[in-house]
Amino acid sequence: MTSLEAARELLREFPVVDGHNDLPWALREQVRYDLDARDIATHQGAHLHTDIPRLREGGVGAQFWSVYVRSDYAGDTAVSATLEQIDCVRQLLARYPADLRPALTAADMEAARAEGRIASLMGAEGGHSIADSLATLRALYALGVRYMTLTHNDNIAWADSATDEPRAGGLTAFGREVVREMNREGMLVDLSHVAATTMRDALDTSVAPVVFSHSSSRAVCDHPRNIPDDVLERLPGNGGIAMVTFVPKFVLQAAVDWTAAADENMRAHGFHHLDTTAEAMKVHRAFEESNPRPVATVSTVADHLDHMREVAGIDHLGIGGDYDGTAFTPDGLNDVSGYPNLIAELLDRGWSRTDLAKLTWQNAVRVLGAAEDVARDLQATRGPSNATIEELDG
Amino acid sequence: MADLKDELDTSPEVGELDDLPAPLPGEPSEPVTGPAEDSEAGLLDRAHALLDAHPVADGYSGLPWALRQRPSFDLELGEGTVDTDVPRMREGHVGALFWALHLPEEPTGEQAVGATLDQLDLVKTVVRAHPEGLRLACAAGPITDVRHFGRIAVLPGPASAAALGDSLGVLRSLRELGLRALTLSGVSWASEAGLTRFGEEVLREMNRVGVLADLSGASAETVRHACAVSKAPVLCARSAAHALRAHPANLPDDLLAALGAAKGLCMVPLTAEQTGPSVRDVADHLDHVREVAGPECVGLSGAYDAGTAHPRGLTDASGYPRLVAELLRRGWPETDIALLTWENVQRVLREADFTAREAQRRREPSTVKITELDG
Repeated sequence: MTSLEAARELLREFPVVDGHNDLPWALREQVRYDLDARDIATHQGAHLHTDIPRLREGGVGAQFWSVYVRSDYAGDTAVSATLEQIDCVRQLLARYPADLRPALTAADMEAARAEGRIASLMGAEGGHSIADSLATLRALYALGVRYMTLTHNDNIAWADSATDEPRAGGLTAFGREVVREMNREGMLVDLSHVAATTMRDALDTSVAPVVFSHSSSRAVCDHPRNIPDDVLERLPGNGGIAMVTFVPKFVLQAAVDWTAAADENMRAHGFHHLDTTAEAMKVHRAFEESNPRPVATVSTVADHLDHMREVAGIDHLGIGGDYDGTAFTPDGLNDVSGYPNLIAELLDRGWSRTDLAKLTWQNAVRVLGAAEDVARDLQATRGPSNATIEELDG
Repeated sequence: MADLKDELDTSPEVGELDDLPAPLPGEPSEPVTGPAEDSEAGLLDRAHALLDAHPVADGYSGLPWALRQRPSFDLELGEGTVDTDVPRMREGHVGALFWALHLPEEPTGEQAVGATLDQLDLVKTVVRAHPEGLRLACAAGPITDVRHFGRIAVLPGPASAAALGDSLGVLRSLRELGLRALTLSGVSWASEAGLTRFGEEVLREMNRVGVLADLSGASAETVRHACAVSKAPVLCARSAAHALRAHPANLPDDLLAALGAAKGLCMVPLTAEQTGPSVRDVADHLDHVREVAGPECVGLSGAYDAGTAHPRGLTDASGYPRLVAELLRRGWPETDIALLTWENVQRVLREADFTAREAQRRREPSTVKITELDG
C-alpha cells in the first residue's frame, strides 16, 4: 500500500476537521449568493477551491465555514454583512443536506462522521462582526457561530491585529470581557490574525481552550500571521490547538520575501499593493515575469507541522487550509482535495496513525467539547454580560 | 405623557360610575340563574371563566425597552415599576404576548440592525431568567404547549423595518433568532407611497419565512398594498377605529374592511389616546372593528409599557376581565369573545406557518438587493 493509499484509508476513519474556508465570501463576491450559479454539488474547479466532490476526495469530515466580512466594515455594515454570510451557510446546508450536516457541538461532529456527512460549523473572522456589542456576540452564537477570530487584518478598538500598528498593546479591558463572554457562551476564541500581544492576553484571560483556525509557525517562517514559539508552548497548558495553514506567502520564507518585494514594486509604481486594476496587474505581471514566484509544496507545510509538534505537542495541532481565502496554494495542496497528500507526507516522515488521527479529527473535536463544558460551568455561576466598551475602556 | 394623564383624570368623560355596568336593556336575565348573573360581579365571574378557557393573546408589549432602563427587576415576584409582570398577567389571564423590539427613537441606517439584536438578546435573557412564568414560543402549537405548562408565551416582535438594513439575508437571520413580526413603515421601501418593488420582495420573503407584517403606523397605501400582496394574514398590532377616534395609527373603515377581506387582524390597543379614556370607549372600538372587519379579524393589544396612558380600569395587564365583562354586558357571544382574546391570533400564526411551508416548497430564498429593484 502506498503512503497515499494509507492516508486515504486513515482519512476514511478520521477525516479532516478544517478550521477555515472562505467559500461563503467567494460566493458573495463572485455571484452575490446565487447558489444556482455555483452549484457545489458539481465540480467548480474553474471558480472555486471548494465543492462537495473535492471535499469528499480530500477526506474532509468537518468544515468551519468562515462568515468573514471585510475588516474595513464597521458598525451595522459589518453586522448585516455577517448575518448575510451566516444566511449563506444556512442556505448551503438547506440545499445539500445529504452531504452537509449542521453541527453546533462536538457530539454533532461525531454524529456527522458516523453518518458520513460533512459536519458544518461556522466561524466569524474578526471582532468587527460584533460591533462592540456582547448581545450581538450572543446573537452570532445563537445563529450557530462557534468561533470568532478576535481581529482580521486591521486593529479593532479592543484588540490589536498582527498586521497593523500596535495600538491597544494586546487586548483592552473590553477585549478581555469579550473573551470571558465567549467562554460563557461556548464560542471558541480564535487567535489567528491577531498580534502576539493579543494572543498572550487572550491566553491569560480564557478559561477555555483557544484555537488558531489558520496559522503556522513563526520560527519556521517569519511572518506576523504565524505563531511564535512562546505562544505555541502555552497550548498544552491551555488545551487549545494550532491549525496549520497552507497560504504560501505565510509558510514559505522565499514567498514571504517575494511578496514583500512585489508589494514594494507596486508601491514604487504608485499603486496600492492589493490594487487589481488592469494597469496595476500589468505592473505586477511584469514583476512576476522577471521574478518567478516561489512555489510552496506539501513538504513546506509538513515542516511547519514537525516544528509545531515539537513545541506544542501532538495533542495541540490541527489543519486550517484557508481555501477560497487565498489566491495561491502550495503544489499538492491546490484545493480541498489535497489533504491526503499532506497526510501521506507525514506518514513518510514517520507520524503514526494515532498521531494523525489527533491531527485530523480528534484534537479539534476535543477542543469544541471542552469549550462546551466550560460554558456549562460558567453559565451556572454568572449571567450574560452587558458591559459596554465605553464603560470598560473609557 | 404625564400631562395627558392629568388631563384624563379631570376629563368630564371619566366618572366614578363609568365602569359600572348600566342596566341591561331589553330582556332581563332568567330568574333561575340568580341575581348575580347580570350584576357586575356576575359578569366578571363569567369573564374570568371565559378567559380561563380562552386567555388573552396580547399583540403589543413595550416591556423590552422598559426593562432596558432598569438595573434590576423581578417579573415573577411582581415588578411595580412597569405595567406588566407575571402576577398581574395571571390575574388578567394573559396567555401569550408579543414583545415589541421597537425603540423609542427608531435608529436608522448605521445602528438599527445591532440595536435590534440587542433587543432580541434582552428578550431571551429576560424570558430565561423567569422560567416559572415565561417561555419563548413562536408558533401556535408551542404556544398551546406553553399554556398547558401554566406559563405565558412570549413572541419576539414586532421590530421596526429599519432592522433589516435593507437585506433579506438579515431578515432570515432575525427570523432564525425568533423574530415573528415586522412593522412596515419608516423605510424607503415602505413609505407614504406604499411598497416599492423591493418592499414587495421583502413581504414575499416574510411570507416565505413566516414573519408577520405589522401595519400599524404604516401609510394607507402600504396597508392596501400589503393586504393585496401578502399570502399570509397581516396584522395591525396597535390600531383602533379611526371613525371613532381620529388618531393617525387608527384605521378608517375602508382599511378595516380591506383588512377583514384579507382575513387579517386588527388588534385594538388599550391606550387612552387611540381608544379613549374608559373601558366603554375600548368596547366601542371593539364593537366597531368587529362590525366592519368581522369577528375573525379583531384582537387585543395591551400596549403596556410603551409610554402611553391607558383607560381607567385597564391601567395594567390585570384589567382584561373588566373589558370582557363589558363585552358580555353588550351581548357579545362567547364564541366571538374567544376569537377576540385568543383564537384569532392562533389562526393568524397557523396560517402564516402554513403559508411559509408552502412557499418554501415553491420558492428559493431571495437574495435580491434593494439597488437591483428600486434603483
